[in-house]
Amino acid sequence: MDPKLTEVSQLFERFKAAITRKDYDSCTELLSHLKVLLTSFRSLPPLFENTPNSIHELTLARDIYEHAVLLSVKIEDQDAFERDFFQLKPYYTDAGSRLPPSPNEYMILGLNLLRLLVQNRIAEFHTELELLSSTALENPCIKHAVELEQSFMEGAYNRVLSAKQNVPNETYGYFMDLLAKTVRDEIAGCSEKAYDYLSLKDARQMLLYTSDKELLQYIEEEHPEWETKNGSVFFQKAKESVPCKEIPSLQLINQTLSYARELERIV
Amino acid sequence: MTQDVEMKDHQTPSHSVSSAVPSTLQHLKEISSIIESGSYTKEIRRIARAVRLTMGLRRKLTANVLSAFLDFALVPGSDAHARLSPYLPKENEHDMEVDTATSAAQTPGKYLLPELEIYCYLLVLLFLIDQKKYDEAKACSSASIVRLKNLNRRTIDVLASRLYFYYSYSYELTGDLAQIRGNLLALHRIATLRHDELGQETLLNLLLRNYLHYNLYDQAEKLRSKAPRFEAHSNQQVYIVVGYLLAFTITILCMESLFCRYLLYLGKIRTIQLEYTDAKESLLQAARKAPVAARGFRIQCNKWAILVRLLLGEIPERTIFMQKGMEKALRPYFELTNAVRIGDLEMFRAVAEKFAGTFNADRTHNLIVRLRHNVIRTGLRNISISYSRISLADVAKKLGLDSANPVADAESIVAKAIRDDAIDATLDHANGWMVSKETGDIYSTNEPQIAFNSRIAFCLNMHNEAIRALRFPPNTHKEKESAEKRRERHQQEQELAKHIAEEDDDDF
Repeated sequence: MDPKLTEVSQLFERFKAAITRKDYDSCTELLSHLKVLLTSFRSLPPLFENTPNSIHELTLARDIYEHAVLLSVKIEDQDAFERDFFQLKPYYTDAGSRLPPSPNEYMILGLNLLRLLVQNRIAEFHTELELLSSTALENPCIKHAVELEQSFMEGAYNRVLSAKQNVPNETYGYFMDLLAKTVRDEIAGCSEKAYDYLSLKDARQMLLYTSDKELLQYIEEEHPEWETKNGSVFFQKAKESVPCKEIPSLQLINQTLSYARELERIV
Repeated sequence: MTQDVEMKDHQTPSHSVSSAVPSTLQHLKEISSIIESGSYTKEIRRIARAVRLTMGLRRKLTANVLSAFLDFALVPGSDAHARLSPYLPKENEHDMEVDTATSAAQTPGKYLLPELEIYCYLLVLLFLIDQKKYDEAKACSSASIVRLKNLNRRTIDVLASRLYFYYSYSYELTGDLAQIRGNLLALHRIATLRHDELGQETLLNLLLRNYLHYNLYDQAEKLRSKAPRFEAHSNQQVYIVVGYLLAFTITILCMESLFCRYLLYLGKIRTIQLEYTDAKESLLQAARKAPVAARGFRIQCNKWAILVRLLLGEIPERTIFMQKGMEKALRPYFELTNAVRIGDLEMFRAVAEKFAGTFNADRTHNLIVRLRHNVIRTGLRNISISYSRISLADVAKKLGLDSANPVADAESIVAKAIRDDAIDATLDHANGWMVSKETGDIYSTNEPQIAFNSRIAFCLNMHNEAIRALRFPPNTHKEKESAEKRRERHQQEQELAKHIAEEDDDDF
């Protein structure tokens, strides 16, 4: 066996051991070391050279990057997640036909979709979605993310929150927590517009707090313009469009002048 | 002896063919002389004319004619000849002998024009594709691309752009588009460096097509936003040029058809990335610019345009679905529109299921999933208009929400709709009601004036755009368009239509 390959595999074993020990600092260190070593393999993207060991090397590299992605979720580093995911992606898309499918593929793709949702990058979410085959869309991990996006767009927030209970994989927990925060802000924004007032109890339930104290603290920090009195929250409404009292003369003059100019050009 | 008998047998049935053969060959020879003169005088229009004439001959090409022409155009025994002739199947050889004689009569040390060589590649490639010999076509087109990379002459550009197209087309037919992506990118770079605008446009379109074929919208958008585009000003410039030079029309028509296609790709990319307003604009423009004959292309534009308009919350007019020759193809989209218009989730689901096959084939399935949200919105709007006060439980029932807790769902959906200004209402949590607000007198506000202004602005803008895009018939002030010229122009338009229709025929 190729000595370089052996070295990488051994290092990878140590890395995996460190993950199970939850020793994340040494994990990150080992990972950067591994990534440097991977650059010396010529069969990996972007070169994709057909070396005798290529299948083995590709599989190993894919494993390493998959673990890197999962590690970034564990240490809650979204930027690292994005970087590692993009490094991993060619192994699924371009080398997918040459390698046996990875058991983690859909789980990681689903995670990525969830990340895009949390970061409110909906356009990219849909771009990624287009890349998936119809069989992939049936996968519970992917389906979970797709349904979340739908409920989110519709405004069925309680469905988003109940989805937290049945996550397909424990790694999803981190992003689901983040999503819950986003959802809370959304609900607050909607309630502000939709209700004149809410009782404290209802508001607490709606914003998913367990105690009134937390709720009051949230209101104080995020929405100081809300008013709490008599056990209810009153939302300050923006003034509705009032009937126009005066003629917006300056604007009208400008418009009429521009019409005149355009008409002159036509005639 | 046996051979002789065979020959005779052959000749009797193919009498009509053999009379056609010389004429086709004769045509080809004429075309080659056009190319020659175009090459010597450096006039691109002659080459363009040659390409146009060739397309007319396309159906008449046979192995015999081609090999005869190869012998005529390329010196037998030369590199180019040796490279091209193996692609042609050897059949009855009796015609050839005559022609070998003629070509032998030519000056032996004749300098081979690169234009002619490339033209021969194009002919052989056309023949192979028409004969459905796709593997040979792939080999032949790849060889031609290798050759093209080393040639840098403006007179070749027109031929080259056709070759690029068939290069990509032959790979698409065999489903290997991904293989040539790197090559196309390299060619695009070369074309850009050589200021070969036609090549650049062609290759950009091919690349976009290539990416979209694999749903790589991200890469397509990155390429599109970074690649040099000159459509905005070239559109104007080109038209000014037309005013002076009738000659370029065919090139421009090519450009036009390329631009049309580009708009479709652009529209698709923008739709996927949720930029619906821009997407609608480019899709509608593409549908409008496409010639009537390019039916498949127009259907595709219309399908996407309908979806985008639905996603924007608009309801396309009935006339769109009733366009001639499209009713059948647009039928699923018509029913879909109906479901969205009524705001009935149940009906929407039924339509989506009923035509799932069509939507999957059109690759619009994911867009239709997105539409669910719009259906709910429309339903909600209808409810809010018809009731001044309604319980949330009834809202959930009317919308047909199917979930564990429909009332809570309905409440948050209504809340979001209120925030997004889709409906004008308030919620009463304690009683579980949705209370619609009285619609005030809209005419007491500035609203109508603003709407009026935006319409005027749209009309004026439309007028200006139309002026800018106006194509002035050449020399109108000097002479009336002669019958012959008119015929030629019509032919060119047909050509353009075929151009676009060509690829789409396969899709539909």
